[in-house]
Amino acid sequence: MIKLSRISKSFGRNEVLKGIDLTVEKGEVVAILGPSGSGKTTLLRCINYLEKPSDGEISIAEFTVNCRKPAKKDIHTLRQKTAMVFQQYNLFRHKTALENVMEGLVVVKKLTKEEARKLSAELLEKVGLGTKLDAYPSQLSGGQQQRVGIARALALNPEVILFDEPTSALDPELVGEVLAVIRKIAKEGITMIIVTHEMGFAQDVANHVVFMDGGVIVEEGSPKVIFQSPKEERTKQFLARITPESAYSI
Amino acid sequence: MGAQFDITAVFEYFVKLLPFIKISLLIVAGSIVVGLGVGFLVALPRLYRIPVLQRISQVYASFFRGTPILIQLFLFYYGLPELLKTVHIDVSRVPVLYFVILTYGLHSAAYISEGIRAAVTTVDRGQIEAGYAVGMTGFQAFTRIVFPQALAVAIPILGNLIIATLKDTSLAFTLGVMELTAKSQSLGQLSRHFIESYIALAAIYFILSFLLEKVFFALERRLLRHESRSETAERVSLGKKWLKRRLETKVAWTKGGTGI
Repeated sequence: MIKLSRISKSFGRNEVLKGIDLTVEKGEVVAILGPSGSGKTTLLRCINYLEKPSDGEISIAEFTVNCRKPAKKDIHTLRQKTAMVFQQYNLFRHKTALENVMEGLVVVKKLTKEEARKLSAELLEKVGLGTKLDAYPSQLSGGQQQRVGIARALALNPEVILFDEPTSALDPELVGEVLAVIRKIAKEGITMIIVTHEMGFAQDVANHVVFMDGGVIVEEGSPKVIFQSPKEERTKQFLARITPESAYSI
Repeated sequence: MGAQFDITAVFEYFVKLLPFIKISLLIVAGSIVVGLGVGFLVALPRLYRIPVLQRISQVYASFFRGTPILIQLFLFYYGLPELLKTVHIDVSRVPVLYFVILTYGLHSAAYISEGIRAAVTTVDRGQIEAGYAVGMTGFQAFTRIVFPQALAVAIPILGNLIIATLKDTSLAFTLGVMELTAKSQSLGQLSRHFIESYIALAAIYFILSFLLEKVFFALERRLLRHESRSETAERVSLGKKWLKRRLETKVAWTKGGTGI
């Protein structure tokens, strides 16, 4: 279980997160929606401390970090309980697909190379890249790179995988293959928090939808509630603006 | 005026100069070792933006890049002993070669520090974050992710610097170090075949530089193998290879990353 309490974050005078409280149950797939600048990516990055929250408390599987005065060791432990899939994939460019997945296993989890190789090959097989083990990122398409990124996150067997707009940098024709992989692992009961602009996907895969705007959570609930009968005016506006194509008249 | 031109003298001097290559190479090797060590130390404050030290690093780099190496040699050889005398350290018995290596070392450190800084900043921040995200410590992320990639970027810079230093060692003769240039001058003075000795000298510098260039090019290709898109492009004629080199650098710069 993941529990965020009173998470706030400011960049200079600009308050990006204004005391966020969020609880995520084990096995839940959470989709965070919202307009750009609403703080959703910042919130996600705060969870594994790539962004340093100014205040609040992060608790993952009974392990709690107080963001007022975090110890370096605690941040390190927190990061080991999470994994992240990045918008820009962020693969290690000097390593092959297989080595990218192995890296965390060997360096952080201290597996032997043999064990790590076996596990990594299985995971790459699972994301449909069984034939690309020895390819470097520069030889892979965006969709393939992102699937390596997902395998790299899965390998760590984390409490939660954080997805930061995993399909935003992809060519439209490659989005499908990545969403299919995420959908597949969602069914396996891994806890996931996904920041996304893919409304259809969020509606389909998530079982907990969070709508953020202006650094606060405006509304949260099941996808059915949020998408079909949102209570807040701001949520209605947002959804109306992005969902139906028929709403545009040219 | 010198004696009449004699082509056989060129070959004769060429062979006579060969043993002195090792003095020149010793200066190069020594100064690069010093340069890498000092250069790394000088680069660190600027990479981590440490307030006062950062400023000192900048002044250091500006001084060594902004004054001629010849003047630096004089300053260190004649000036440093005087300076040390005031604190009662006597360095008058230290061989001149040490001063030469020290000066070239500190000189190249200025360039190396700039190179390190440039190379490290080319590795995009996203990969470091990815390293943290898989649970690496800062040190692990640096040694396993940043360093190998920065090295590949730094190799051509280092190659240029080593070749430049090799040619700069010709100035060490002004302090009386018996290296290639000094030897070739004395050969010329003995026989009055000046031109021949300088031709032989130029040939030796050229051959050394050429070999170094080849070595570094091969090294660069090996370290950047992850950025080459196709394996088949390896088998092309020499001329095309050169064209491809430029292309490859382009690929390396523009691919991936967070779009900086």
